[in-house]
Formats: sequence, structure tokens, C-alpha cells
Amino acid sequence: MPVRFFHYLMVAPVQLLLLFIIGIPSLFVFWQGLTEFSYGQDAVFVGLDNYKSVLTDRAFWRAFSNTFIIVNAVVYIEIAAAIGISILFAGGVPFRRLMIAILLVPYAVNEVTAVVMWRFMLEPNVGLLTQLLNSVGLPTLNWPTNRWDALTVIVLLSIWLNLPFTTIIIYTARLSIPQEIYEAARTDGASPLQAFFYVTFPMLIPAILIALLFRYVFAFRIFGEVWLLTRGGPAGSTEVLATYLYRNSFRYLELGRASAIGWLMLVTTLLMAMFYLRQVYKRMLS
Amino acid sequence: MRRPWWISVLRYIALAAILLWSGFPILLMVMASLKPDREIFKFPPDFIFRPTFANYIELFTSRPAFFDALLNSIIITLGATLLTVVSSTLAGYIYSRYRNTALAGSAFFMIVIRMLPPIIITLPLFPVVNALGLQDTYLVLIVLYATFFVSLNTWIMKAFIDQIPRELDEAAIVDGASTVKVLRYVIVPLSIQGIIATATFVFVFSWNEFLFAFIFTTSKAKTAPLVISEMLSSLAGIDWGVLFAAATLQFVPIMVLVVMLQRFVVAGLTVGSVKG
Repeated sequence: MPVRFFHYLMVAPVQLLLLFIIGIPSLFVFWQGLTEFSYGQDAVFVGLDNYKSVLTDRAFWRAFSNTFIIVNAVVYIEIAAAIGISILFAGGVPFRRLMIAILLVPYAVNEVTAVVMWRFMLEPNVGLLTQLLNSVGLPTLNWPTNRWDALTVIVLLSIWLNLPFTTIIIYTARLSIPQEIYEAARTDGASPLQAFFYVTFPMLIPAILIALLFRYVFAFRIFGEVWLLTRGGPAGSTEVLATYLYRNSFRYLELGRASAIGWLMLVTTLLMAMFYLRQVYKRMLS
Repeated sequence: MRRPWWISVLRYIALAAILLWSGFPILLMVMASLKPDREIFKFPPDFIFRPTFANYIELFTSRPAFFDALLNSIIITLGATLLTVVSSTLAGYIYSRYRNTALAGSAFFMIVIRMLPPIIITLPLFPVVNALGLQDTYLVLIVLYATFFVSLNTWIMKAFIDQIPRELDEAAIVDGASTVKVLRYVIVPLSIQGIIATATFVFVFSWNEFLFAFIFTTSKAKTAPLVISEMLSSLAGIDWGVLFAAATLQFVPIMVLVVMLQRFVVAGLTVGSVKG
């Protein structure tokens, strides 16, 4: 059917929101990144100075490597766990609906409450898990003062919050693999392990790639978990890119610098998503 | 096929571990909210105890701001949900039924733009919002929350509407039905699953969002997660019992909703990710 003016009006609310709230502001961030200014001051064009200053700042590289560590740990542990859970659930579990509901519940928890829950368990000396580990003589996580312990808690928290998403993506893909393929594999004498490597895993790959993409893109923005747990401390040792950006803009009011960090984050995100976006582009526009 | 017994045992252990991982932190917190202060950090924790509502009563008397924030959260969440669902159903219908280069280009724009990290846009928006006198209002958060979900939700609605046979709405159009009528009598009733799924996603997101609320509200429009975060970082020390009561009140309604709408959440996620 022919496209009429009225039809453009119907997509306009969505497109205008995206354009005015995300599109134009992100282009503006690029311009801001080339200037030096703060609230109430006129911007002065400084070329690439902000990028030079950010890229030579050790704090930036620490934030970058923390983000890198967190993102990779979170994404791969989640995907591995999601594959395991999907296979377990596809093999039949009692009270399946209830089990899936319990699995899904962390999706309804906000970052703040998740930090509350995990601090309750992991608070030094008094946390319930800390006490349990102490009572059986195991080392405890000293997250307020130790960088690696803090990063571990951030990773655990983040996995806890996002595993439902990853699991649902992979579990529904597992359910859509026809049972006949498994029966055929079995009659051909395939062991369960062979069935996994030659049937399940290859057929899950499209879903795994989607989960990878979205989890990379979303984990990369991590802010709340870090800010609420450690504020990037002790001494900036658990800073991630988003908290580093926040500190530069809303605490130090170095908006030019903060914009340069923002643009670096934007470009990194698009690079991570490039493969996927290229495929979408091919399918939609050619 | 019969499984060897030890495989079955391992499966049950794995299942128990998953349930413990998912549910235990929540269970501990909800239980602790119903305990007197001195028993909260008691180890091992009592699983059978006489519940007290002292923490909830103290929350009510000492932190009335939390209940204002809950009300703010309700208003902002409903606003963002309404705006998102209406705009993405309209757009999803067009993207499902019509095609030309301009529409394809705008659909691609929609997918690219959804990748960008939200914190970036706070930099240019913060001064604009202040200049317009919109800081600390419901409107800012409603618009921001809607913007970050219209893209995914349009895509999900398109996928759901794609499943409705075209002949149905085309016949109605040939018979002279207006677009509004087609939407109202054909598209909306038949894509109601998708509408519920998309509404749930944006509802949960808006109810729980922290970053934008943290940056764009200071007092009047504060949301519940923000007030909880202030209780968590209180300089006077954390009053754990009251904090648990607040977190439980914020969390339980949305949990009930998610569990009730589980099937739509799963269907929406599947369609939205696999076909997006």
C-alpha cells in the first residue's frame, strides 16, 4: 500500500523522541568535546586537547580497564550459566512455571535494592554470608578496601541482576530446537555430550550472539552498581567509564573533558555493535 | 530415556543452587524487614520468627518522604508507560505494514540509536533542562524513560503485528475504515500480547531506573529508588531495618507484576531480541 503523509505522522512521536533526546544531544556532545567550558561559561574551541588530556590520564585507563574486566567477566559467566540453566530446564524440572518465575525475579529488582541485598550479605564482619564464610574458616570479601574484592562483588551483583535476561534469550532458543533432531542423534549413537557439541551448541549460536551483543552493550554502561557500592573507590581503584564521566561532569564540572569521555564511550559502543548493525543494515536497506 | 541416578542427583543440586542464587538474597531481605533491629544480623538467621512491623511503622513516621517518592514513581511510571505504548504501537504498525526507503532508513536509525549509553546525553541535556525550568519535574523523567524504550518497543510491536494476517486490516481499509478504526478494531485487539509485553518492559524500567532520577531530580520529583539510595548512603549510618522495609515496599509490587505477566515478558523478549 502507498505510504501517505499521515503514516509519517504516526512514526513521528517515536522518531522525534529519539532525534531530540538522543540523536541531536549526542552530536552536540561531540562538539562539546572539542571545547573547554563549564556551566555558565562560554565554550572555547580547543580542538583535540580534551581527548589528549583524557587519553593521557591514568585514571581514564584505570576506568577503562575496570570496565573491560567487569564487562568480560559478566558477559561470559552469564552466557555460560544461561546455557547450563537452559539445558537443565529443557531436560525437565519439577514445577517448571514456578521455577522460571523464581529465576526471573531478579529482573524486577532495581540496582539500589540489589546493592542493599548484597551488602546485607557481604558487609564486613556482620554480613550473613561473611559470617557464614568466617564460621567455616574461609576468607571473606573485603570489598570496601580491596580493589579486586570490590570488582568481584560488582561482577556478582551485575550477573545477579542480568542473568534472567540472558537466560530467557538462550532458553527460548533451546526450546525451539526440534526434539526430533535429538532423537535422530540418539539413534545414530550420539552420547549426551556429543548431542550438546554437535546439536545444541551450534543451534544456539544465533541466540548466543544476540545475548553477547546486548550484554556487551548494556554491561559497558554500568553505573549504578559501582556508584552505589564503592563510589569508584577506594581511591578511584574501582572507577568505571560511566562513573569517571559522571565525576568529570557533575563533580569537577569539566564538561569538555566529560564530553570527550562520552564520545569515546559512544564510539566504543558502536564498534562493539558494528557487526550486528551491518547485518541489520544489509537486511533492511538493500 | 532413563537417566543414571547420579545425573539426577546432580541435576537437583544444580536446580537448588540456581534457586538459592536467584531467590535467597530477596528472601533474606524481606524476612529481615520483618525482624527487630537486634536480630537482623543474627547468624545463623532465624527462618521461623514472630514478624514485627516496627520497621515499616518507623519508615512511615521517620521517612514520610519515601511515600511521596513512591507516589512520584507511580505517576512517572504510568506516564512513561502510556507514552511509550501509544507511540510504539503506532510506529510498530507503520513499520509492519508499509515500506519505502525513508521508513527503512528511520527504522535503522532507531536501532542504531538504541545502542548509545544513556549517561552521554545527560551532558547536553542537563543545562537545557535547567534553562527550560524542567529540572526536578515528572515530565523530564517521563520523556527520558519513554525515549529509551520506544525503540525496543516499536520493534517488538512490529514483530507482533507482523504475525497478524495483512488481509484483515487491508480488507478493512478497502471497506473504507479509517486508520484509527483499523488500529482500534483489528490491530490492537490482535496484538494485545505485544502491548502487554512492551508495557511491562517500560513499566519495570521506569519503576526501577536510577541514573536519570539521580541526575535530574533533587526534591519534588524524586523516585523511590533514589530515596532508597539516600538511605543507603546516609552519613549518620545505615538504619538497616528501615532500609529493608523501604526496599521491600518498592520491590514487592513490581515482583508480583512480573510474575503475573511472566509469559508476556518471555514472549516479548524472545520476539524483540531474536527478530530485532
